[in-house]
Amino acid sequence: MDPDQPGPDTTEELPPELQAPPEEVVAVLAEDMHVATGTREPILESSGVSMVFGGLRALNEVTFSLGEGEIIGLIGPNGAGKTTFFNCLTGLYSPTSGQVTLRGKPMPKDPARVTAAGVARTFQNIRLFPSMTAMENVLVGRHVRMKQGPVSSLLHGPRFRRSEDEAHDRAEKLLAFVGLGRFSDELARNLPYGDQRRLEIARALATDPSVLLLDEPTAGMNAQETEATRQLIFAIRDLGVSVVVIEHDTKFIFTLCDRVLVLVQGELLVEGSPDEVRGDPRVVEAYLGAPPEEVEAQIHAGATTEGGTD
Amino acid sequence: MSATTEAPPAAVAAPAPPRHTGRLAGLMNAVAPRARLVAIVGGILAIVGSQLPWATFVLNEGAYPELATLPLGFTGFRLHLVVLGLATIVVAVLRVPAVHRIVRALGIGATAVAVINGLYITAEGGGLGAITASDGAVAFGAVVALIGGVLIILAGAAGGVEPRPELDWALPLWIEWILLVVIFVLMLLVVAAGLTSGGQGGVVNPYSGAVFLSFLGAAGGAFAALNASGLLGYVATLSERHRVFSVIVLLVVALGLPLTSAGTEYWMTVASNIGVYAATAIGLNIVVGLAGLLDLGYVAFLGIGAFVAANLSGAAASTIGIHLPFLLVMVISAVVAGIFGAIVGSPTLRVRGDYLAIVTLAFGEIFVRSAQNNIGGLTGGANAIPNIPAVAVGGFKFNDSITIGALRLPSGVMYYVLIVLLVAGVMLVFGNLKNSRLGRAWIAIREDEDAAAAMGIRTGPIKILAFLLGAMLAGLAGAFFAHKTGVVAYDSFRFLESVTLLAAVILGGMGTIPGAVLGASILFVLPEKLREFSDYRLLIFGLALVLIMRFRPQGIVADKHRKAELAEIPEDAAKEGPGPLPTSVAP
Repeated sequence: MDPDQPGPDTTEELPPELQAPPEEVVAVLAEDMHVATGTREPILESSGVSMVFGGLRALNEVTFSLGEGEIIGLIGPNGAGKTTFFNCLTGLYSPTSGQVTLRGKPMPKDPARVTAAGVARTFQNIRLFPSMTAMENVLVGRHVRMKQGPVSSLLHGPRFRRSEDEAHDRAEKLLAFVGLGRFSDELARNLPYGDQRRLEIARALATDPSVLLLDEPTAGMNAQETEATRQLIFAIRDLGVSVVVIEHDTKFIFTLCDRVLVLVQGELLVEGSPDEVRGDPRVVEAYLGAPPEEVEAQIHAGATTEGGTD
Repeated sequence: MSATTEAPPAAVAAPAPPRHTGRLAGLMNAVAPRARLVAIVGGILAIVGSQLPWATFVLNEGAYPELATLPLGFTGFRLHLVVLGLATIVVAVLRVPAVHRIVRALGIGATAVAVINGLYITAEGGGLGAITASDGAVAFGAVVALIGGVLIILAGAAGGVEPRPELDWALPLWIEWILLVVIFVLMLLVVAAGLTSGGQGGVVNPYSGAVFLSFLGAAGGAFAALNASGLLGYVATLSERHRVFSVIVLLVVALGLPLTSAGTEYWMTVASNIGVYAATAIGLNIVVGLAGLLDLGYVAFLGIGAFVAANLSGAAASTIGIHLPFLLVMVISAVVAGIFGAIVGSPTLRVRGDYLAIVTLAFGEIFVRSAQNNIGGLTGGANAIPNIPAVAVGGFKFNDSITIGALRLPSGVMYYVLIVLLVAGVMLVFGNLKNSRLGRAWIAIREDEDAAAAMGIRTGPIKILAFLLGAMLAGLAGAFFAHKTGVVAYDSFRFLESVTLLAAVILGGMGTIPGAVLGASILFVLPEKLREFSDYRLLIFGLALVLIMRFRPQGIVADKHRKAELAEIPEDAAKEGPGPLPTSVAP
């Protein structure tokens, strides 16, 4: 894990399968994928993105920029427009106004092309292919990078074998990376909840993304699994993938992210380092209404794990 | 209830008999300690029953098969009963692994034989008098066999049904090969015996339907027993281990059908028809089974292929009237059907689920009405396109019979060979597609279309490709169909045929190759065999479908994906499995 980040005391108790991916696995995978240049040059940017549903303004002029190798957290109370913003970034919605760009180019309109351009995502409610095996789920993720046309699929020639072997090889590495190597032939629906979340991440990584969007990756997880997910996200960043995370768990966000964005009622309220955001009275107010001192103290201690009331 | 405490000494060595609860618990617990003994008694009763007379008088339409009015007989259903009874006794005495599971299956077979024949004799003979003592004649055969069968089932169920053993032996390669050949040849012989059991029906064999059903019951019981013993599983493992070898042997064995008792012109025609529908069903399986798109008008593609081939066959009634070589015609038929497939598939870009099913239903109707009205003079309307010449290579016509030395093969045998090769080719196409990038994309779309799109799958073109490829396979089959039957008429391609095809796919097992072939075989052999039940034919047929869907929803040959979808969540997975999902964040 990253030495700069304060490690919670749960680290030592992690069972082997929940620990951060072993270095050799990361090294092998990093060779296949691109490695971060660490330039922090902006990759994914949005300028003045608004989204209106009927009379409801779900997003209002949201402008943000994600640098290469950065982990950005997106927090906000329920209904703040976080998932809507994600959907705008991934082409599921096209914004009413404003623009999303990837490496300076406008983002394509349809989700498949967005993925091909290098933006992958997971879903808030797990959306695996439940009756495919873990391996097959990851192979579907490879779809967009495989060079295998219908004719090749039909004839199963030597080129087919090569592309299939490559895809299997990468899928195996990815499953090992998220700690699911032993479950490769298990049906996705039979995996425990936390493992399903990690399989979804492996599937998204299989598309060779340069940006990974995680929608509540630790929802429903216990403290150990949450810690394991944190380690995993650091490892993903080390592979050269920039990450945006939506989370309710503020402690998780503040110990994970380089920058945190607070979205309230479709507006970008505060943006800054975890420390800046943690100390901002407007954030506390947005989360909890009027700020009684003791609640503020709780936020500082990072004890609040829920988004709280609107 | 007290039975379990006073177990006889014979059962001491055996594991403790299970305790039953629920209905019939008292009876089951009473039988449990002496289950094997009960099974042996049941087996003996089945054998004795088979040798008693079954009918008290000769039925109106002639003697019931196997001389049912006379005692002693070792043919037909009586032989089946003897075999099932003997097998029960042997299994129970030897105490083989999973003995109770095997015994239960054998008992179901024996019961089926007793019930089917008994019921039929009763119905035909005008009441129970036909099988019970009457006029001083004694004919308790059916009753005794039924009691035997029920006892065997009871013994199996009460003794505690064991899990199916997993067998695997390390044998030398050549023995495994020989074993596979022998097993496949045996399968062919059973299929041939099944097809010819009771003959072809009609005046000569008025009871062919009952005889066939009885055979089906006996064969089903024996098959289930082999499955219970783990032997079938072993064969599956074996053929998986020698995949290529198995496929080749299976192909050769399938080509051997004309050499068996089913090698008559009639059965060659039936088998060719089955092949046509099997190939079409496999095509439909791409659309429905893999991509999960319900198509209710699919038989139209078979029709398009058939009409294209009819028009290019040089038949006098066709408007175009040109004659192209058969292979070229097949390709053209497939391409034309594929184009229509893509057109029908294009609404999938916008329309999903039930609405798509209605679009396809409408297309099927449009096709039938257009063909009926002879649009463009291409379909012959109500007159159909008759007299399509047979496929000919050199001077040899495919509907001629062949004589090689002393061996005389029935006419239509070349068509049979052709359709076997065609079906094998279609299977290869399906299998290859399924295990490829494209096949995974289809399954992903079936499972969750939005998630598939988020994985970079361009769902629109990929769905249209499913329709296109599926329709091409149907078009190929259609070209064959036109030449084999010699007549192409619009009423071969009505809604009922589409539904039957869909039933074949679902019944056999969605997404699997053997499933589609098996489903098509059952759905097109059964009506053939049940002809003399004419009025009740569709009723029996529908009832069988309902029962299969109730007790085996994943189909006869289950795909691992479908099986998982329909299976209940295993207990351990349920325990740690998905907790309450977070409530969604509304925009």
